[in-house]
Amino acid sequence: MFGYVTPCKMEMKIKDYEKFKAYYCGLCRSIKSNFGNLPRVTLNFDMTFLAILLDSLSDSKYNFIEFKCLVHPLKKRLMINNNEALDYAAFCNITLAYYKLMDDAQDNKTIKSKVSSMFLKNYLPKPNRLANSNPLENNTATYNKLAYNEVMDYTKDKIQLLNTFEAHNKDMSIDEHLSIDELSDVFADLTGFIISFYYKEAPFKEDLYWLGYNLGKWIYIIDAYDDLEKDMKNNEFNAINSLINNDKLDFESFSTLVKPRIDFLLSTCAQQCLKHLNNLPLIKNEDILYNILELGLMEKMDKVLNGKSDVYNLKGVEYKNDKSL
Amino acid sequence: MINPYEVLGVREGTSKEDIKKAYRELAKKYHPDQYGDNPLKDLAEERMQELNEAYDSLMKNHNSSSSYSSNTEYNSSNNYGAKSSDDYSNNNIYQSVRMDLNSGNIPSAEQKLGTMSTKTAEWNFLMGMVHLKKGWHDSAYNFISRACTQEPNNIEYRRSFNELNQRTSNYRDNYYGKRNNDAGMGNMCLNLWCADSICECLGGDLISCC
Repeated sequence: MFGYVTPCKMEMKIKDYEKFKAYYCGLCRSIKSNFGNLPRVTLNFDMTFLAILLDSLSDSKYNFIEFKCLVHPLKKRLMINNNEALDYAAFCNITLAYYKLMDDAQDNKTIKSKVSSMFLKNYLPKPNRLANSNPLENNTATYNKLAYNEVMDYTKDKIQLLNTFEAHNKDMSIDEHLSIDELSDVFADLTGFIISFYYKEAPFKEDLYWLGYNLGKWIYIIDAYDDLEKDMKNNEFNAINSLINNDKLDFESFSTLVKPRIDFLLSTCAQQCLKHLNNLPLIKNEDILYNILELGLMEKMDKVLNGKSDVYNLKGVEYKNDKSL
Repeated sequence: MINPYEVLGVREGTSKEDIKKAYRELAKKYHPDQYGDNPLKDLAEERMQELNEAYDSLMKNHNSSSSYSSNTEYNSSNNYGAKSSDDYSNNNIYQSVRMDLNSGNIPSAEQKLGTMSTKTAEWNFLMGMVHLKKGWHDSAYNFISRACTQEPNNIEYRRSFNELNQRTSNYRDNYYGKRNNDAGMGNMCLNLWCADSICECLGGDLISCC
């Protein structure tokens, strides 16, 4: 369910694109140094956005270093190093990935998710290890320890709640069905909590929470719509199908029927994200954040809802009958 | 005339509070709105009419015989006619819900609306507003559009509904607008180039450098 929050590359300045990549690599490195090598596979763009957003509110300077990446060994790359927001994002990345996998393992009992969740368990944040990585700052270390535990507990509860909602929905009659708002509220609230937790004392906490809330909801719903065909085919739980498709329509007719409603819901969420971003006292990274929330989300929606590819955004490219002119 | 006490199912000489209570209970049961297109609706309407008349006549008697100060309640309910004497107390609740919404006390507003059984246009509208504040846009949209269908002439409902649609279309335009602008610029260059070529064919030159 991750990887939907990406920049709209075609509308980005090169310097912003490089910065975005530097954050991405920095996040990967932070996962490695805090949790180990294997969990790096769970790295995703959504968490890069989290790091960029949280870092944009702190006045720390960028700390770029050049390095060579194992996956892309030939080129030298830039990455951002020693950044607290990145460490927090790395921690959230692992926590979310772990509980999501656990959840999948209970759900489908597929071997893949079971094995991966068992593996990941060994890497799950151990507060002590985090504290040791930062021996100079003892105070923040103990603070981190407590704070990280709180986030982990909250994540665990919410993912479990979501799981029970999804599991119980099958047994309910149509009148008792949750609304799509009620169901997505769980994940939305979790996202809001994670994002605003980092600045929980700040005056702009509310805006951060609501930005996160709407973004989380957006992610949950776009993911459900993206998986709609697959889930309907395999007869698996899908938020949109299970809650809205009361007449048991087939995929073709149902998806066209429900599309305007999902479109409205998604663009409202995205628009709300942007509104709350406007209220934040950003110090840096403005262009990247606006690119993502103004254009990146729309681009993804276009792709998922209408099946249009990124190239469509290029100047002067026109498509007729699926053939480039 | 039918005995109003019988209609409301209370004994003669019952206190005003009890009459009100009995009336509310019955009004809840027979309110025609909840029947939709059900054939029972007509029957319910008839019964509601009886209830209203009985209630009114009893209240009138009480007012003349006792010195209760809540004259206003009776007057207002009379103003709203025989439709439903519930309206007065409902309006009171709507007022306090609006105050809650303004002060940001969403749970209280939602709880108040939740206890009401009659779902008028205003109820739907206010519930929509509550859900909007909670970030539940899908159900908010449904509630507000229902309010608009129930009272198509209400400007407040219509305006909120349009705002909802406007928000997303503004956001969307921002993205599509960028693309269209690009295409526009491309077209302009192409047009200039064409014009230049034509001019050159005719011996002139529109853009000297090419």
